[in-house]
Order: sequence, then structure tokens, then C-alpha cells
Amino acid sequence: MSTLEHTATKDVITSAAKAGSGESIFSRFLKLLCSVRLGVTLLVLLGLACFIGMIIMQQSVDGFDRYFAELTPAQRLVYGNLGLFDIYHSWYFNALLFLVSMNIVLASIDRFPKTWLFASKPNVTVPVRWLRDQKQTAEAEIDGDANTLAERTAAVMKKIGWRKVAITEKNGRTYVFGQSGLWNRFGAYAVHVGLLTIFLGGFLTSQLGSTGNLPLTPGQKTNLMFGTQVQLDKVTEVTKRLPFDITCIDIQQRLIKKDGSISAMNTIDWMTKFTITDEDGSHEAFAQMNKPFDFRGYRFFQASFTPIGRARSITINAKPANGGAEEILTIARDGSAALADGTKIKFSEFRGNFRIGEEDPNEDTSAYPNPAAVLQIEQPGTPPQTAYAFGPQMANIPVAGKPVAGYTFQLKDFEKVADQHILSVQRDPGATVVYVGFILLFITLVAVFFFSHQRVWAAIEMASDGKCNIIFGGNANRSLGAFDEKFKRLVTELETK
Amino acid sequence: MSQEVLKNPIMVSGKGTTSISAEGLATYVPAAIALLGSVVVVLLRINVGGERFITDGALMMLALASYLIAAVFYLTNMYAPFRLAEKLGTWAATLGVLFNLSSWLVRWVAAYDREVAIFNSQGASAADMPWVFRYVPFANLYDLSLAFAFGAGITTLIVIRRNQFRIVAALSLPLAAIILVLARFIGSELVDLPPVLDSYWRPIHVGIASLSYGIALVCFAVAVLYLLKDGLKVEKMAVWTSAFAIGTFVTISKFSIFSPGSFGTYTASTFVGSSRMALGLRADIPYVGWMILAAAALLIAAVAGYASYFSKNNDIARTWGNRFLYAALLVQGAGISVLVYQLKTLQNVAALISPAQYPKFATWMLQQQDMPQAQINLMGQQQLFDIANKWIIENGSQLHLSLNANPVELAALITAFTGTFFVVLFGIKTERIREMLPSVDTLDGLMYKLAGVTFAGLALLLMTGAVWANESWGRYWGWDAKEVGALVAWLTYAGFLHSRIAYGWRGRSSAYFAVVAFLFVIFTYLGVSYLLPGLHSYA
Repeated sequence: MSTLEHTATKDVITSAAKAGSGESIFSRFLKLLCSVRLGVTLLVLLGLACFIGMIIMQQSVDGFDRYFAELTPAQRLVYGNLGLFDIYHSWYFNALLFLVSMNIVLASIDRFPKTWLFASKPNVTVPVRWLRDQKQTAEAEIDGDANTLAERTAAVMKKIGWRKVAITEKNGRTYVFGQSGLWNRFGAYAVHVGLLTIFLGGFLTSQLGSTGNLPLTPGQKTNLMFGTQVQLDKVTEVTKRLPFDITCIDIQQRLIKKDGSISAMNTIDWMTKFTITDEDGSHEAFAQMNKPFDFRGYRFFQASFTPIGRARSITINAKPANGGAEEILTIARDGSAALADGTKIKFSEFRGNFRIGEEDPNEDTSAYPNPAAVLQIEQPGTPPQTAYAFGPQMANIPVAGKPVAGYTFQLKDFEKVADQHILSVQRDPGATVVYVGFILLFITLVAVFFFSHQRVWAAIEMASDGKCNIIFGGNANRSLGAFDEKFKRLVTELETK
Repeated sequence: MSQEVLKNPIMVSGKGTTSISAEGLATYVPAAIALLGSVVVVLLRINVGGERFITDGALMMLALASYLIAAVFYLTNMYAPFRLAEKLGTWAATLGVLFNLSSWLVRWVAAYDREVAIFNSQGASAADMPWVFRYVPFANLYDLSLAFAFGAGITTLIVIRRNQFRIVAALSLPLAAIILVLARFIGSELVDLPPVLDSYWRPIHVGIASLSYGIALVCFAVAVLYLLKDGLKVEKMAVWTSAFAIGTFVTISKFSIFSPGSFGTYTASTFVGSSRMALGLRADIPYVGWMILAAAALLIAAVAGYASYFSKNNDIARTWGNRFLYAALLVQGAGISVLVYQLKTLQNVAALISPAQYPKFATWMLQQQDMPQAQINLMGQQQLFDIANKWIIENGSQLHLSLNANPVELAALITAFTGTFFVVLFGIKTERIREMLPSVDTLDGLMYKLAGVTFAGLALLLMTGAVWANESWGRYWGWDAKEVGALVAWLTYAGFLHSRIAYGWRGRSSAYFAVVAFLFVIFTYLGVSYLLPGLHSYA
């Protein structure tokens, strides 16, 4: 039986006894707050609340509006009033978390002194009857006097792994007591410290954290990020100002199938290059999928992209209308290049699904059904003219064959990229605390569950004919199988001499 | 008087020590064979076999067969103890784990080959090739199920090292087999990985998930055996399994079997053409609904019989309860057989579809096409009906049924059947099984150990998930349904551990926590993916 078991049993018995003897209400309330039963009850309630949150869709989940529309007015009224659509932020959920924390702290304070006493003053001279009641117990008659046998027993105990050994005499019996892993009794406290650290981190995040989306288009500068506030099926956009300016330099998308769309499923990676300007100057930044960029406590993640097909660079074929040699040029997004005769070609726009007229900003052109580049042609002494370079899908439409500034253009190839990348910006001072809690929790859980506190006693008493009677007994708070084997070894080794 | 021990300890013979540790190591041989054997299989696949080597799907079926054979041997051994049966059971279990892990490893190689073929077809250079963890088979629920069954299998091999725990395999291996049956229903096609999941945290996180789930499964088996040993009446267990079965019957087929409008109708989802996406269009499968109703009625009758037995100690009622339970088992078995046979053989599926579901199907189709809900709401029933009707006239001939269309429903039906099967089995010579089981304390010790490891494993699962989420999305906790599911399971295991130190709750109450905790693990593993939306809806 572990210390905790001992203390738990005693607690309840004493509290039951005291309850009848006119204990103050405050004291009884405090006892309730310290009890493991309350802890287990709170865990069940917390689990139940979480489960409700899983079954009833939460207002922050995508598709909540559809779910909400399908509910009956009575459901909306009841769920809404009980806060079930946002249960994890409801007052009672927070109260439950607070109570769990209080229970952990108070139960630990309540139990720690007893554990300390148990650890610092081991009970070496236990009654023989108690030894015989232990899970592991044995009795043997061995040649030799009590002192020699005690020393032998101690040596074997040490050898087997019960490193802390003490020999004591009481009432004509010599007791040998060995133990190992005493620290394991304190493991449970450390686990709870880890857990409370995580709770603290969570609290810091909720109080000090900030988050938003940052759409970045090459060449544009901004210091605004956008968040959302959800109230049932209504979503409102919130604008937040960053303490620095961001200028997007370049965006790039690595595709699996280069002839495929720029959909997420055909993408291996998104890369965004930008500069951050603050009072200290300009800083280069680069964010990739699963490789966020860190700056002054802010992290920039690849979050999503606008499904409008653009080109990071185009390769065009310029064919002179008068029959001269063709020229092939590669031009970067918003860049320009010159032909041999000095004609300047500016890559001003790219459309994934070209149509005459204005582009529909809501149209998903990520599959590039009809790609075309819009070019500005500049020749000395003439005003700039607009030309189009079409992909093979539209190569035969009349406008494609019409020369502009003496040239016809064809779109030979282009590097696909989205219109803009949307980075998620996070500032979370609680995360580090949470990580510390994780490390603590992990180490302590391993320490608690993969090690054990083992105790073993041998009570030696002189019998007749130069023999001694030894009564062995022992227990462990976990890993009983391994302990049983060690216990048997102890008895066998002492008997075999 | 107290004195510290001798400075120079006396050495004694270490003879006994050597033999104990050698014996101890020998018990790990089956687990070692399973692990090393699967490494050999995958090396053969890489170096010798190539694509004509045995496929991961075939290896999975071999694992399934081995688990079932092992379970049969162990179950036989419960009633007619026979050394050979026990040995054969252990070897079958070992082979099962070997095939199970081999299947997963071979799948990794196959996924690699598939990706490299795609990249090569694009003329990619060596630098563009994806890295090794991109194609580790932890991409969907099939992969997770394969690893989950392995987790349960390897844990079973480790637990049955001790002779007294052999009986655990009789319960845990059939459960592992159900997980593989579910995997078979889900289908083993390799899927494209969403890019956000291309992180080294994925194999760590999902690997921990599958092992923890596997240990939880064995812990559940031990908890059930504990309850049996502790004297929990088999009839009470039968009430619980019947409740689970009836719950399953009510909820499957979109609640149709017990709804007044479609009473007695079981419907199965359909596929169109070669698409792997189950349609929101369900075909009536003849006879099955009525068989399920009959099974439910028999189970209710059995529960009523047992209730009378509990309250009045009426032995006749108990006998009738048993009879109804046996009949329910037979009807459940027949129902599943008829369902599977028809799913494989029924033709002209369009004729089996009730026009009553057309408007709902049209709504589903429009939602799939991302039409705003407000716009759909404006359409009349007739307009929706016409949309669906037109679609069915055009595509009806391509509709077909498949075992893969409703994996969770089918697996739930099989689980309900298995539950009834086990209580029927436990009801036969109950006292004899109780005698065979290790002592309550020994089972409690094993249950505690397994629950402790599961608790630590789930903690690690939550932590690695949080770190991954923080590295990929910038938030370590988002109350996503799967996160919360794992948290609820973890809290329940915490409840188990604490109930052991709360006065008076140790023993049976603790065991109930272990049972419920595993149900939450299953809910997290399946329910969240199939019933609830969220980040983890892929797996």
C-alpha cells in the first residue's frame, strides 16, 4: 500500500470522526477541497464538459453557420443560454479549471508533510505480524548468528539493488531494512507541478496572446493584421496594428505536379520573403511551411493563400510581325526586360482564367484554365501599349495574332504562384511556460511510472542449534512483478549459502 | 540502536540470478521475432522483391487471419486447457504482429515508390525529392488503424510473457482483429498528404498515438477480465454490451432503422464510378433492417429477463434472458452476413434508392460544390428534388455498393456482435474461467501498469500534438475535437489513477474508469474523424 493510500484512508476516517465532533464548517469545506474524491469528481465533470464541447459544434469551428441554421429555435435558445456553443470559454468551465487547480494545490499541501515524514523516518522495526501480511513474505531458518546474518542480508540487499540499507536491533531481534527509489514517492507532486505550470502558461496565453492574419502581395507594404471575432453565426473582422512595417518581397510555391493547379493538395511548400522595418532598421525575413519566422516575440506562419492563379515569372516568345528572328524572354513578377531593338516589355499582370474585361476577384483560378500575361510595351517616342501573351489554350483567338508595337507574343511557360500568401501572426508569451510544463510533466511521468519505491525487511531472531529464524517481508508502490523477482532472489541467495 | 551497513559487502553466489534473467529474456523472444521478422520482410521488399513482392494489403489480411487464429487457440484454451493450443496461440500471435508491422513497413516503401514516381514524371531533380518522413504511413485512418492494431498486438505479446496473463490475449487479439477489419473497410489506397502535415512531428505524434491506443486496448481487456474475476455478474456485462449494441443499431444508417418514417429500413452509402468518396445517397439493403430490429428486440428481451433476475433473483427469468441473448447473437451474426453478402453482390443500385432522400441529397451535392447555405435555403423542395433526380438519371447506372462505403458502421456492427459473443462465452462455465484467471490483485497490478503507461503515452500524445500545432499553426491548443477527445480520454485515465488512492473507490470503480477511458480512446480515434469536423478530420 502506498503512502498516499495510507494517508487517504486515514484522512477519510479521521475526517469522518471529526465531522461528528463539531468541526467548523470552514474546516470541513477545506477538507473537501483537499480530498481526492473531489479531484476525481472534478475530473469527471471536466471530461463531461469537454465531451459536450465535442458533440455540440463550437462557434469557432468552420461550418458553424450551417450547423446553427439546422438547429431548432428551442435548441438554439437552450444551448445558447447555457453557453454550450462556446463552452471552453464559459464561466463554469473556467471555474472548473480553477477548482481543479485549487484541488491539486490543496491536496498536495495536505499530503506532502505525511509523505515527507514517511520518507525521512522509515519504519525499520515493524511488527513481525505485519511482515507476514505483506504481499511478498517469506520465512527461513539459516545457520549463523544474528549479527553475521544481518550483515550478509544487508550485503545481498545492496547487491540486488536496495541501496539504502539500515540494521537495527529491538527486543532481541535484528532488523535489516533496505529500500530503493524513495524519491518515487515525491514523483506525483512533481507531476502536478508540471500540470500547474501548463495551466499557468495557458492562462498567460489567454491574457497576453495576440493573433491575426497577414495577407502579403509582392511589392506591398502593410502594418495591419486581421483577426475575427465570432459571436454565434456572426463573424466580425477585427483589425490590429503591428508595431513594425512589413514589405513583401517575393512569394513562391513548390508544386508536386508542375502542370497541376496551385491547390494545397498539389503543394509541397509555400515560401514568403519579406522585410520588417522597425526603429532598429530593416530586417530580412523568410517563412516557409512548417518553418515559421520569429521576430521580437512574434511568429509568422504560412497559413493559407488566395486561390487566384498568378505567375512568379513568365517566359514569353516575342515574334516580329515583319518576319524577323523570334526572341525568348523570361520576366519576373512586376519586372521588365528589353528586346534586342530596345523595346521594353513590362510584365504588369497575370490572369489564370483570362476574359476580356475586368477580373472577377472572387473567381477561383487556381487551376489556370486559360492563362494569359498582360504586358506593357514601351518604345521610345510612343505611348505605352498593352499586349497579351496567351498560353496554348487561347493561342488561336483573333486577338492573339494581332501585332502590338510590331510584335506578337506567346506565353511559353510560367512559374505558378498564388495572388497572395496569408501568414498567420502569433504573439504568445505563454507558450514558453507551457513548454517548460511539458518537459516537467514528461520527465516526471516517466520517473513516476517506470520506477518504483521498493522496501524490504528481514527480522532476524536467534533460534536453537546455532540457527536463526528470518522473517522477510516487502512491498513496492508499482512494478510489482519485478519486485517479486528481486524479493525471491534475496531469499534464495541467503538460503543457498 | 541503528547502524549503517558494512563498507565491504560479502559476496554470495550469483547462480540463481543468471538463470532468472535468462528466463526473463527468453519470454521476450516472440516480441523480438515479430520485430526482427518484419524488418527482414521490409528489407526483402526493398532489395529483392520490388513491386511484385507481397503487398501491404495482403500482409494486413495475413495479420488479421493470424490474430483470429491466435484468438481461437486462446479461447479454446480457456475451456479445455491444452499446452499445445497455448503454444500455437502464442506463435500465431507472434506471426500476427510480424505481418502487422511488415504491412505497415511495406506500405512505407510503397508510398515512397509512388511519390518518387510522381516526382520523376515531373522531371524533378534529386534535390526536389521529398524527404523520408513525408511518406511515412501515418496519413489517414487506415494507416493509423494498422499501427493501432500493431500497438495492441505487441503489447499483448509483452503482457503474455507471463503464463498467468496468457488469457488476456483471448480478449485483446479479437479486438485488435476488429481494428484490422475496420482498416479493411476503410480501404488501403495511398492518399495525398496535405502539405501542412508534412512535418517530422507527424510520425512522432501519430506513432505515440497508435502505441498508446494499443496499450489502452490491452488495458481495457484486462479491466474486463478484472471485473469478471471480481465477481461482476456476466448478466450485468450482458446488459452493458446489449446497451452498446442497441445504441449502435439506433444510430447507424442515419437513425433510419428505428425512425417512424423509415422503420425497419437499413441503408448503405453508395459510390459513383471510381470515386472513393461516399455519396450522401443511401441505398435500401433488403432484409438487414428487419434483422437488426429482431436482434434489438431479442436483446431488449434478454435485458428484461436479466432485470427480473437482478431484482427478484428469478432464475427462470435468467434462463430466458440467456436464451434471448443466444438468439440475439445468432440474429446479429446472420444480419452481418446478409449485409456483407448483399453489399458485395447487389446490382442495379439506383433502384434501391428511395426518392424521399432526393432533396437531402441535392442539398448535400450543392454543399459539396461550396454553394452558400443561404442560397440553398432559398431553393424549394421540388427544385432540389429535380436536381437530384436529374443527377440520378444521368449517373444511376454507375452507382455501386461497397464494403468501404460505411467502414465505421460495419465495424460497429461487428463490435456489437463481438460484445454479445464474449458475454455468451463468459456465461458458459463462468466459474471455471474465474478460477483460471489470476488473482484480483495481480490483475489489478497489470491494469494499473497498463493504465499508467497509457496515461503517460496520452500525455505525450497531447504534448507532441501541442508542440506540432504550435510549430505549424502558432497555437498549442485550439480546442479541436480530436485534441479534446484525447484530453477527455486522458482525464478519464487520470480519474482511474486517482480513484485508486481515493478511499473506497479502489477496485471495481477503478476498473470502470479503465473501461470508460478506452471507450473515449475509441471515440477519439473514430468518432471524431467520422462524426465531427475539425483539423483532424483526415485521420
